[in-house]
Amino acid sequence: MRTFKKTIPHIFLMGYLLVILYPFLFVLFSSVKTNNQEIASNPFGLPVSVTFNNYVNAWVNAKINTYFFNSLYIGVLAACISILLAAMLSFAITRMRYNRISKIVFQLILIGMLIPNNALLLPIYGMMSKLGVLDTHMALLLPYVANAIPFTVIILAAFMRSLPGEIEEAAVMDGLSSAGLFGKIIIPITIPAIVTVFIINFLGNWNEFLLANYFLSSDTLKTLPVGMVGFRDAYNTNYAQMSAGIVFSVLPVIVIYAVLQKKIIEGVTAGSVKG
Amino acid sequence: MNKALRNPLVYILFVLPAFILFIAFFIYPILTAVNNSLTSWNGISKTMSYIGMDNYATAVQDKIFWKSARNNVYFILFSCLVQVPAIVFFSLLIANVRKLKNLYKTAVFLPSIMSTAVIGILWGFIYNPDFGLMNEFLGLFGIQPIYWLSDRNWAMIAILITNAWQWTGFYIVMVLAAILSIPRELDEAAAIDGASGIQRAFKITLPLIMPIISVVVMLSIAGAMKAADIVLVMTKGGPAGSTDVMATYMIRYAITSFKHGFGNAIAVLIFVFTMVITVLYQFLIVRRTERIEY
Repeated sequence: MRTFKKTIPHIFLMGYLLVILYPFLFVLFSSVKTNNQEIASNPFGLPVSVTFNNYVNAWVNAKINTYFFNSLYIGVLAACISILLAAMLSFAITRMRYNRISKIVFQLILIGMLIPNNALLLPIYGMMSKLGVLDTHMALLLPYVANAIPFTVIILAAFMRSLPGEIEEAAVMDGLSSAGLFGKIIIPITIPAIVTVFIINFLGNWNEFLLANYFLSSDTLKTLPVGMVGFRDAYNTNYAQMSAGIVFSVLPVIVIYAVLQKKIIEGVTAGSVKG
Repeated sequence: MNKALRNPLVYILFVLPAFILFIAFFIYPILTAVNNSLTSWNGISKTMSYIGMDNYATAVQDKIFWKSARNNVYFILFSCLVQVPAIVFFSLLIANVRKLKNLYKTAVFLPSIMSTAVIGILWGFIYNPDFGLMNEFLGLFGIQPIYWLSDRNWAMIAILITNAWQWTGFYIVMVLAAILSIPRELDEAAAIDGASGIQRAFKITLPLIMPIISVVVMLSIAGAMKAADIVLVMTKGGPAGSTDVMATYMIRYAITSFKHGFGNAIAVLIFVFTMVITVLYQFLIVRRTERIEY
């Protein structure tokens, strides 16, 4: 009876786990099957023979490679720039002696977390159009960098505020300027928090769909989510190849998650609660 | 000491870049949205003519707009009535198992870091009427194939299920953290007094995690008002506008049919609705749940 009672929760949880993980397995199996017929006749099971043609075709013919590198470069670059700018701002408002202005700046930035960002889609579209950068990667880089700033500032400022004041006293005694203090002392200490926000920002950019869908029209510039949707609309019938495409898009996320899950869970939930 | 940390030039140089970007992409767009919503601008021409509140009048008289707003409400209702109980149920289960706790936590969180667009595509497979997993599974119970995404009676439900599949785990992890931070003594004391597991869950744990549940509801509402990409990817608002939400309605008018002024009015309405719901919720619900001290 006792052991029975102990297994009931596990039965429910295993059921839930199955619902979460099975779709991924389904995609993985489908991606190595030869064609739709094989998927249709045997949707639940393992493939009879494994073929990697779908991956080659998706990577080259469906231009997943182009989309993949576009997403990678935009995601990394935007995340790095927002972290640099947000770290500078956080340093200035938490460590430099301008408390009153700093408080106002910080409060304003907190408001940013409350704004529903798809209400801003059209005005930002208008701004990008005025700047003449629509249909270039600039049209994504600028909003992505800006979008991440409130979240990044909140996390980094909280971290920097918790650092003891002796650190900078010692550094300033040794003759460091405030810029030197920032670059040589504060940034290296803040690395753990920076890693967290980098992953969160990168994932956000990597997954972003709305702006990427409407701000770019050239096929060679598209990012992975948009490219995948375009691919589906064009080859609606080739499920095996599409599954391979999904694997390409999901794999990097799973790899990052496997290595850094603790930091990701911590960062994502902290960001949403504080907002 | 103070000299190095009170250097106005450095302060300005450090604050300005991020701050300017913030103003340019958060504050300024809201102001332009309000301004453009009062015009009949098409998004391209150099001149715009002001037409007062006409766009708002058109919007509130448009049945399709209210239909799409209703779908946002469905998102909210589904997450409050279906997702939240499930979230609490599964968090309690995970909190109380000894083995595999981490596996459960890691696995349920996974979908929430995936691209919504790709999840939309993936679930498009699952809903495929001919060989999708959903119909195959229901077929085991003798249920006839359902045309999930092309049947207007089922399309919205299909989207809500997908959305729940993606986000439930995310909230479970949040609630789980709250449960695990409750001091063990409380639970143990109740157990010694003879309370059963279910009694303890309802009388001890649940009241203590009310604040985090209200945060979950809050975040679900914000998410429901933002929903757009999942609808665009799965049904594009179809069949026959039955799955349109406010954001997709806005995009259709503003970008696809060049009614930029009108689209901006919808954007302002989304913004206002979100704020009103948030503030109402804060006043009516959150104020009443007292702060908890152990």
